[in-house]
Amino acid sequence: MQRVAQSSVTTCVAGSYSSCKASGASGSDPEVMGYEQFPAGLRVLVVDDDVTCLRIIEQMLHRCRYNVTTCSEATVALNLLRERKGCFDVVLSDVHMPDMDGYKLLEHVGLEMDLPVIMMSADGRTSAVMKGIRHGACDYLIKPIREEELKNIWQHVLRKKWNENKELEHSGSLEENDRHKRGNDDAEYASSANEGTEGILKAQKKRSNAKDEDDGELENDDLSTSKKPRVVWSVELHQQFVSAVNQLGLDKAVPKRILELMNVPGLTRENVASHLQKFRLYLKRLSGVAQQQSGVSNTICGPVDPNVKLGSLGQFDIQALAASGQIPPQTLAALHAELLGRPTGNLMSAMDQPALLQALLQGSKHIPIEHGVAYGQPLVKCQSDISKHFQQSKVSSVEDISSGFGAWPSNNLSTVGPSNNLVGLNAQNTNMLMDLWQQQQRQQQQELQPQSMLSEPGCLINVQPSCLVVPTQSSASLQAGDSPASVSQNCHFSRSSVIDYSLVSSRSNNSSLNIAQFPNGGLNTTAGVPGGYLGPGSISSPMSSCSVNANNNMGQQGQNLTITFSAARQLPGFAPNRHDIQGSYTAKTVEMVDQGPLQNLGFVGKGTCFPSRFAVDEFESPMSNLGHGKLYVDNNRVKLEPNVDFMENTKVGIPILHHFSSNDVTSVFTE
Amino acid sequence: MEVGQLQRRLVDYTKSLLTEGILDDQFSQLQKLQDESDPGFLVEVVSLFFEDSEKLLNDITGALDQQSVDFKTVDGYVHQLKGSSASVGALRLKNACVAFRSFCEEQSLEGCLRSLQEVKQEYYNVKNKVETLFKMEKQIVAAGGSVPKTE
Repeated sequence: MQRVAQSSVTTCVAGSYSSCKASGASGSDPEVMGYEQFPAGLRVLVVDDDVTCLRIIEQMLHRCRYNVTTCSEATVALNLLRERKGCFDVVLSDVHMPDMDGYKLLEHVGLEMDLPVIMMSADGRTSAVMKGIRHGACDYLIKPIREEELKNIWQHVLRKKWNENKELEHSGSLEENDRHKRGNDDAEYASSANEGTEGILKAQKKRSNAKDEDDGELENDDLSTSKKPRVVWSVELHQQFVSAVNQLGLDKAVPKRILELMNVPGLTRENVASHLQKFRLYLKRLSGVAQQQSGVSNTICGPVDPNVKLGSLGQFDIQALAASGQIPPQTLAALHAELLGRPTGNLMSAMDQPALLQALLQGSKHIPIEHGVAYGQPLVKCQSDISKHFQQSKVSSVEDISSGFGAWPSNNLSTVGPSNNLVGLNAQNTNMLMDLWQQQQRQQQQELQPQSMLSEPGCLINVQPSCLVVPTQSSASLQAGDSPASVSQNCHFSRSSVIDYSLVSSRSNNSSLNIAQFPNGGLNTTAGVPGGYLGPGSISSPMSSCSVNANNNMGQQGQNLTITFSAARQLPGFAPNRHDIQGSYTAKTVEMVDQGPLQNLGFVGKGTCFPSRFAVDEFESPMSNLGHGKLYVDNNRVKLEPNVDFMENTKVGIPILHHFSSNDVTSVFTE
Repeated sequence: MEVGQLQRRLVDYTKSLLTEGILDDQFSQLQKLQDESDPGFLVEVVSLFFEDSEKLLNDITGALDQQSVDFKTVDGYVHQLKGSSASVGALRLKNACVAFRSFCEEQSLEGCLRSLQEVKQEYYNVKNKVETLFKMEKQIVAAGGSVPKTE
């Protein structure tokens, strides 16, 4: 194996490298290469731990006149792809590999390099094939593979390329046209597009983001090891994207039109296309999760963001899902985060997005409990993952995140598998998160201390391409059980930006609450807080984002619900939550859980946006890194109203969402 | 023996292996894959297969020998062996693996141990046959002839 791997790498170095050079410019574009030649010279990367198969397929591919590079280890293959972007046209990967699941590799490649990936396996069951397709595989071959099957793999490359070309032509973007003319292959397109537009996008982001420096750092600290400049999907950008999608209707949303609607200079159709792909995946997962959860119809529970018509996303209405308690807010957040994933730079002050999404996703698992809780849930539930994300998403913790990100893929991917709740949440999360983020951005960027939380390996704020935020199905993130009489009472806000996570993870999957890191102060959740909810009041506005870490163990009173507030963002939207939370705390853990994150956000005070990222997740040991911190909620502005009836979460839930979008803390409260 | 005779013997032998189901069409495909540019391809692949399989058989034996058998691990190994067998065209061996996997699912230690014996048997069987085949090919080449491709 070693030998083979070695030789494979060597082959890559010698063969593929030179071939990269040679065909780099022309890529595998038949127009460039000449139709007679194509598909000869197609650059294929084969990954399979079975050396026998590897050798056989290599031989077959040689016979097809393809340019073959083999790898017996997925991790090596991934590195190879990252180092040699633009040197491969298609990836063939086995499903069962010891070091990394084939699906994970598939997702990584799809996110980072946007190359067509074909799965192979001796397992020909329909479920396995479906799983492959669901994860984004272009094709699924059943072993033993015949040469004829391999002869046709070029169609996937061509189809992808031409589809993008078509859209490029229509988009009319200069850069895109240039790229098109260059006839780069897909991989190169991606990189060149990103490179070309990155500057513009970056500038854009910086303008819109309060945390410019952080963003910049975040961008640089690309989660992907490739450091390839990527479009950073800031909250605003993503919001625009979602608006465009809503306008068009998810079914009719094509990158070209989305790009036109978004009207963002420098954004390429390709950027939009890949983002859309991810978005769809999330939605799909979300709906899948929802179904798992309870077959609740995907109805919009409430407009999370009045501006963003999540509902238009149809079945993927996260809100609906959330409302139905299907999708824990955390998951949504996580999804959202994931969507925005990329360099956290723009993402709300924190990173929370990925974490949020994760949390949401994870939260979805816990949904059952949340059924009772209405809208607030989605946001509130932040699975540990989300919390992780949150933490990670903290701008300041970008570094952490980045590192975490790296780890995340493996963590998340593994966890992701089972949960399909990501997708749907995105839409919703996006909106909510966007609002939150925007609010946060408005807020003075508080420097977030790198939280120990950030160290959470799994949580990456920026859902870098390689990581599909797949929230693990985690149990209800929020501590439903805790019945905080009044959150505020229990919250101690201190200036430290340490976020205290009481990770009470009942679940193995990291559904810890996202602990928002308060830039200025951490939300200090004291044990006293039931369910770990930080007293709303205690949360000061300075806190940009608070992720509520809730113990996912519902029913565990006084469990470690740690509400982490991410960044110094205020949770404007959560104001109402506060009320709810308070009430809910006492009321039911379930509700609390659901609302947890949201509520915490609300507590944070005006202007504090607590993205749904506050996933209240159970704290799991892994999250302990995060947990080290203490949540300190800046008391500045949070005004928690202790007597808000938590039970009224349902009511509040929706309003909260509204609030998020409105970014008006006050409105939230009035809700 | 003259080349023509050797070649005929080889063809007959290969056909018999196919008929018996020891090898299947996949093996023929592999033979076809071998060409002038890569004359040692088949031997190389089969050698890789033997090496890999023997290691897997050892792993399986070890895993079944544990105090508390982890059937998932065993199943993983068998799945791998099944995959490679299918890739080289070792049909009977592959089928034995399939049967083995069902015992793994049932978590029947006895069934697994029995299956392991069968798998080992099939493995050595196919190994012998293929090695014989290669010897015959060598003879032909040594006698100045070329290896006939199976129809």
